Amino acid sequence: MALSTSLPAAVRVRARSATGWVRTASFALFWLLVAAILLLPILLFLLVAVSPRLFDQGPQWLTLSSFGAAFQGPMLQGIGDTLLVGVVTAVASAAIGFGVAWVVQRTRVPGRRLWSGSMFALLLAPSYLIALGWERLLEPQGVLDLLHVPDSAARTLLYGPVGVISVLTAKGIPFAYLAISAALRGLGEEFESAARVHGGGRAAAARIVLALVAPAIWSALAIVFAESISDFGVASTLANDAHFPVATFELYNAVDNFPVQFPVAAAVGWILLAMAGLALAAQNAALRGRSYRVLGGRTRPARRRELTRPATAGVCSAMAVLVLGCLGVPAFGAVSASLIQGLGTLMGGAAFSLANYREVLSSPELYQPLLYSIGLALITATATAVLGLTVARLLTSRRGRSSARALDLLLLTAVALPGIVFAAGYIFTYNLPLTNDLGIHLYETTTLLVLCYIATALPPASRVLFGSVGQVQETLREAARVHGSTEAGSWLRVMIPVLARPLLSAWSLTFGATVLELPVSQLLYPPNDPTVSVGVEKALANYDYGGGTAMEVLAVLAALAVIGLLWGIFQLAAPAGWRRLGRTT
Amino acid sequence: MMNVRDRRAAVGGALASALLLGALAGCSSSASTSGSNAAGGSGTVPLVVYSAQGYDSAVTKAFTKATGIPVSLDDDSTGPLLAKIAAERNNPKWGLLWVDGDTAFASLDKQGQLLDYDPGVALTTAGQSLVPSNHSYSPVSTTAVPALVYNAAKVTAVPSTWQDLLGAQYKGKVGMNDPSQSGPTFPLIAGLMNELGGQTGGIAAGEAYLTKLKANGLQVHPTNGDTLHALETGQIDYGLIQSSAAAGEVATAKKSANFDPKVVYLGTTTLLPAAIGIDKAASSTEQKEAEKFIQYVLSPAGQQVMQTADPTGDSLYWPIVPGLDPVSALGAMPTNYQKIDPYFWGPLENQVNTFFDSSIK
Repeated sequence: MALSTSLPAAVRVRARSATGWVRTASFALFWLLVAAILLLPILLFLLVAVSPRLFDQGPQWLTLSSFGAAFQGPMLQGIGDTLLVGVVTAVASAAIGFGVAWVVQRTRVPGRRLWSGSMFALLLAPSYLIALGWERLLEPQGVLDLLHVPDSAARTLLYGPVGVISVLTAKGIPFAYLAISAALRGLGEEFESAARVHGGGRAAAARIVLALVAPAIWSALAIVFAESISDFGVASTLANDAHFPVATFELYNAVDNFPVQFPVAAAVGWILLAMAGLALAAQNAALRGRSYRVLGGRTRPARRRELTRPATAGVCSAMAVLVLGCLGVPAFGAVSASLIQGLGTLMGGAAFSLANYREVLSSPELYQPLLYSIGLALITATATAVLGLTVARLLTSRRGRSSARALDLLLLTAVALPGIVFAAGYIFTYNLPLTNDLGIHLYETTTLLVLCYIATALPPASRVLFGSVGQVQETLREAARVHGSTEAGSWLRVMIPVLARPLLSAWSLTFGATVLELPVSQLLYPPNDPTVSVGVEKALANYDYGGGTAMEVLAVLAALAVIGLLWGIFQLAAPAGWRRLGRTT
Repeated sequence: MMNVRDRRAAVGGALASALLLGALAGCSSSASTSGSNAAGGSGTVPLVVYSAQGYDSAVTKAFTKATGIPVSLDDDSTGPLLAKIAAERNNPKWGLLWVDGDTAFASLDKQGQLLDYDPGVALTTAGQSLVPSNHSYSPVSTTAVPALVYNAAKVTAVPSTWQDLLGAQYKGKVGMNDPSQSGPTFPLIAGLMNELGGQTGGIAAGEAYLTKLKANGLQVHPTNGDTLHALETGQIDYGLIQSSAAAGEVATAKKSANFDPKVVYLGTTTLLPAAIGIDKAASSTEQKEAEKFIQYVLSPAGQQVMQTADPTGDSLYWPIVPGLDPVSALGAMPTNYQKIDPYFWGPLENQVNTFFDSSIK
């Protein structure tokens, strides 16, 4: 405002011009970064399927033979299984995630903070840890066998599609919860009240709420579907032990076996991509042409409902079963493996011992990877939160719909491609002689590892932010600009406070997921600097189950401590308004 | 002709590109200190070692201490290392590969990726049998497949041949690894096929045997650790695994009235060498350093580090350098052993694994 009234016209024009340049350059820089970390690695990896010769992976310049290999035998069965697992998991996770979000956001049920925190803890638990926890419970000579509890029926269920879908659903619930609870939080109560005032019953009010949070529900379905079909943790443990082939594991076999078959792996990548594309198409078809902007300056948090005693007991029991099943069992499995020598074996004489923890904490070769991974996770989480906000903003913007669709497709593709092939795409891209000739020597450096971490973390982080950013009305920033705020100032003073909590959630999610990330780390970690996940994998491969699991437990505890510290600082130091907006409990 | 808006976008894009590329190039300069091109001292470059051995960290440190040559170690499982090498095909970064099994080396040799090198070190008879005629890679130690580890506290029957395992007393009690996931298991199966059918008979006799073993209740687990876990939890009583893993289990497992692991060898045991290959595309300086590394590994000093750094794991190998005894927990090498030709059996790996995946697993 001051600028427009006190400066000569020529200066104002130059100032506007400079602002335009900055905006254009920023926009171009963003897309360049997206191209560098997402588009090129994905594109070059997928190109291997049709042109193996391009990367010295076979004799043909142009062929479809790798697709033939992908559509036969166990690979074909794996693709069918994956489709089934993805659909059922997405629907189940969205339904349960919605239930949890409703309980936490809209009722006065006891322990809301605990249930909400459990969702974050679940995000941090690697899927293979959950699977192994259940295996420890139900395997022959496992915990239930030792307690003489008949478990053969449950064991049969666990080692099959039901077990695989259940564990992946458990991992999908927090994604759905975060997306839907953010939307519910911003919704306020006025829409339900309006429906009730006009004679609508509870069902009518619920329909309105469901319709208004539809973007978040579809977002949850899409992200859980993509995460499930690309999951490797369950595929390599429970699904593999159950001889239930899924596409990611078959793809991994193509890359991990000798001779390495990158073209076949890339063909399976195309198929996973097609599946993710279908999810995106369904999402777009359901939401096309509607507006869901409900978060504005007048939004008031909804009142929480008092539950009757029976309802409270029922809800608490259900939440306890959910948290116990998703977190308690795997935590028990991990801790028992690290702490109790001899549990679940024929050796007998189970005894408590802290020897594994002493070994980890006293050996630099074991604890240095942990410190290194925490440092990488800090950088990755911060960069991803900033980029995720930009992505969510672009995805929800009314302008540039085609570029938003392209970005959305790219992000879902990144989720749908398992980490190991994504990392292989990075090698193809950043180890090209041409790239080296340009003076870019990123391969086998920490920088490239972090860039790949960011690329794999960006889709879920932007999905977490998508619901909240989509609900922020443009009028908020427009009002700030009218009152003299600059472009950057309007973001800092208006948008960041509104989005502080979702941003912190996205940061926490990325941090937790990065600390124990395995497939990308395995192919891209710089020599001499292994990450904690590589260290754990190595320990487990060398039959050091106790040491490996102790490292795992310590890594999870360290991640929880950092996240807890950050939220603690936020509660103590952030302005009251920041803390009030988007409160989860 | 461009309008003002288009020109601004184009120049903005170019500016942004320059900034990003500048940033990436900046990253590269700082990163190159850990890359393969950085100088590590006068006339040396870091030797990039891709290794899956449990003692590799200790050996590379000892090598640097002894020679002053810096080593950049990528320590991982065999599968990811070979995947990296395959992905790097058009611009290799590794200088030296050190893993168990020689079929991958035979394949890399066929692709022209290995430098022929004869370290000229005297080897035992078993060691000499493992050396390829063109010296495309160097065996430096050996284990054997399969070692049969069994729970002597639960069972008394001890098989001595492959045919024994088809008997009723072994029904549902035998486990082995999945060759798609366990590095030593394809050589194990190839050795079985070689013993039953030989190179002229190919894979048919071995496939028929595995089909019968499956009919007798064979259980398949992913890797050595999983098969041992199945043995410890009573899911199986007999496990067919690599000798070092079996010896490690005997050395570390707590014996009880329910669990007492012991090891025997079936019929003609197959030698599984740990081998080192040098990248043909590496610089001549790095290749000379790699040759020194192989010399060091085959020296008494190198062998001493190998035998002490991972005492319950990969250190449980049989030396192929004369005059050295194996780690005491391992015992003597089986006298009835065979060496399979990696150039014949290696190319069959995909076919055999697919058969196993669809018919046995």
